[in-house]
Parts: sequence; structure tokens; C-alpha cells
Amino acid sequence: MDFIPGGELSRRIREGDVSAESELIRQFEPGLRVLLRRRTGGDYGLLQDLVQETLLVVIQRLRGVGIDDPQKLAAFTAQTARNLAIASLRKAKRQRTVVDSEATERNADPARSVDGVAADLEAALAVRALLRELPYPRDRLMLKRFYLDDHDKQIICQEMDLTEAAFNQALSRARRRFRQILEERGFAKRDLLSLGL
Amino acid sequence: MNQELIERYVAGRLDEGEADAFEEYCLANPEVAKQVEFEQRLKAGLAQVASGSTAEFVRSNNPLPWRLAVAAGALIVVVSLLFVWNRMSPAHAPAVMATVTTDKQRSGAALRLALVRGSDSVPALQPGIVRVEIVGLFDLGFHYSVALDRLDHTKDVETIATLYSQHPTSPVTLEVMIDSDQLRSGSYSLRVRKQASDEDALDFGFVKF
Repeated sequence: MDFIPGGELSRRIREGDVSAESELIRQFEPGLRVLLRRRTGGDYGLLQDLVQETLLVVIQRLRGVGIDDPQKLAAFTAQTARNLAIASLRKAKRQRTVVDSEATERNADPARSVDGVAADLEAALAVRALLRELPYPRDRLMLKRFYLDDHDKQIICQEMDLTEAAFNQALSRARRRFRQILEERGFAKRDLLSLGL
Repeated sequence: MNQELIERYVAGRLDEGEADAFEEYCLANPEVAKQVEFEQRLKAGLAQVASGSTAEFVRSNNPLPWRLAVAAGALIVVVSLLFVWNRMSPAHAPAVMATVTTDKQRSGAALRLALVRGSDSVPALQPGIVRVEIVGLFDLGFHYSVALDRLDHTKDVETIATLYSQHPTSPVTLEVMIDSDQLRSGSYSLRVRKQASDEDALDFGFVKF
């Protein structure tokens, strides 16, 4: 799919081109998920809400007054997402000042919590499937040390008696398989469908 | 996009300015963003799994050793069964009756059996492995079957062993080896029959003391 520059997208949306809005969503939604994942602490429901909220804000802005520099649409969108994430964090902090656990439980939004938990389970299930498939215990330990313990590649290679090429190969294989497992489970499709703007 | 940059972003090793620039790059490049997201999810999934126990990372889930173990177990069972079966199988037990195959067998103990009209005496089989020489008229162009029967006092017949496709040594001799020590005391008969013919079998009796 071709990438449409921010300037052109801005102009078309301002002119009322609905297909340009769809194009904006298609182009920016993956990047927004990356950006917001880092700022939502694993709360997948919140992540999805913020992605949609960001896209709504940006589209409404482009439909209306527009932005100062349409060429910097990506930067504007990113900053909007960051601001919304900060606002959400502040709101959550305010809400946490007085916590009635029972009331929180009673009034919890089941859709959000289920979605959040489901997202975690999906990744965890895919990881479990991946771990089961890895032929050597060494590969599993390697993943743990690299992703969870944040050990440096060189140190892992040295201590596990691996060449860097072998390490990269094993890592790349694991990544490919993980992606394949998630896609087989409908991850990509579900995420696209969830964006019901 | 450099994979190392993705790894550093996911690991939180970029400074704020670098991270912001990287995120904007992802917004403008959806394919890179997807790649980064899978990396984030892999890390999150690993963390989720590890939050329960790290056993998943150290235990051997590889089915290959299990399959090998199962295959080895099955092989051991099969070999054991075959061994037991072979030990119990008459075909592999020390043969009561066998074909004469070596000259050494011909130089050992021998018993000559012949149909003698009017004879009252019954030949006795000596102990040990005995070459039994059956005397008669044999057709060299045919094969003969030789059955060793035990005759009990009620005249019931129990076939102990049978040899097929025996070739006469000469037109008047057919030889077989009998392990006398495997036979209980009693009356026996060697029933010789020309294969692929309707001729009656000939019975050559002997006793074992």
C-alpha cells in the first residue's frame, strides 16, 4: 500500500474526502499502538481507547481548523497521542487517591478488563506455544535473558557460548514464529476490526 | 529500519528525544510499526509467562527426546518379546529332528530303519544325537516329508516334529538327525511321505528306552 504524505492527507480530509480519513487510520494506527503501548503499562483496553481517541481528535482537527504544518502530520498525531496518554495517566492517578476496592470491582467496565486481560493472554499463549516449539532449552533461556533480564547480547553470547550470528539467527527465528503464531490466532485481523471509527 | 534500533526502543534504551523521533518514524511507516509491535508483544508475553514461573524457560519441552524415549521403549519391548518368543518357539529350540547337513553328523551314532516283513523286533534309538537312516525305495526326483510321531498305549498319535522337502541321499536311503535326549521313553514312528503324490506314507517304528 502506498504511503500518502501528511500534506495531501490533511488537504483531502479538509475537503471532506472520507477515503482520506480511512487512509489516515490505516497509516497511523500501527504506529499509534507502538507509541501508546509504551505509555499504557500493558493495559490493552486503555491502549485501544487512546488509539481511537487520538485518531478522532486528529481527524476532527483536520476537518476543522487544520494544523499549522500539514507536512508534519505524523509529528502532530504522535504529540496528540502523548498528550492524551499523559492526561489519562493523570486522571487515573486522581482516581486512585481514594480507592474503594469493592466499589471499583462492582463498577468495573467488563469490556475493558476482559479486553485487557485477553490481550495479555493472547501474547502469553503465543509465547507459551513458541517456548514449546523451541528445540533447545538454550533458546528459551536466551529469550528470557534478552527480553526480560535485559542482558546485553555480547554477555549472553559469551556466557552461553554462542556466536553473535547464532544468537541473531535463533532470535530472528523466534520472532518470526511468534508473529506467525499470533497471526494464525487472528491477532492482526482482530486488531483491525477493533478500530471501529 | 535497523533491528538494533527497534530492540533498543522496546528495551527502553533510547533517550526521550530518540524515542520521540522513533515513534514519529513508526507513524509514518506502518510496516515498521507492526514489526515493533510484535517485538513489544513478544516481550510482554514473555513477561506474562515468567510472572507465573520461570519453569517454562528451563524445562525441556522439546518433544524429540520424549519421542526418542518412547521409540526406544517400544523397541526394547518388541526386541524382548521377539527374544522370548524365539526362545519358546519350536523353530529355534534345539531341534528334535533335523536334516543331515555335515559329514561329521554322518560319522556319529546311527540307527538304521527298514521295513522288514515278519520282523518282531523294534529298533531302539540310542541316547544323544543320532543319524537315522531310513531304508526304502526313494525317487530322487521328489521331495519327502518326514514326521516324527509318538505313539502312546491308547494308540493316540502325537506328532512331535515334521521335516519337509527332504531329499533322499540315494535311491534307497533317506537320512535325518534325531536328538534322542529330547524324547521321552516310548514308541515312535517316522512317517515318510512322498510330497506332491498320492502314495501312502511309510511308517518306520522305533522305541526310546
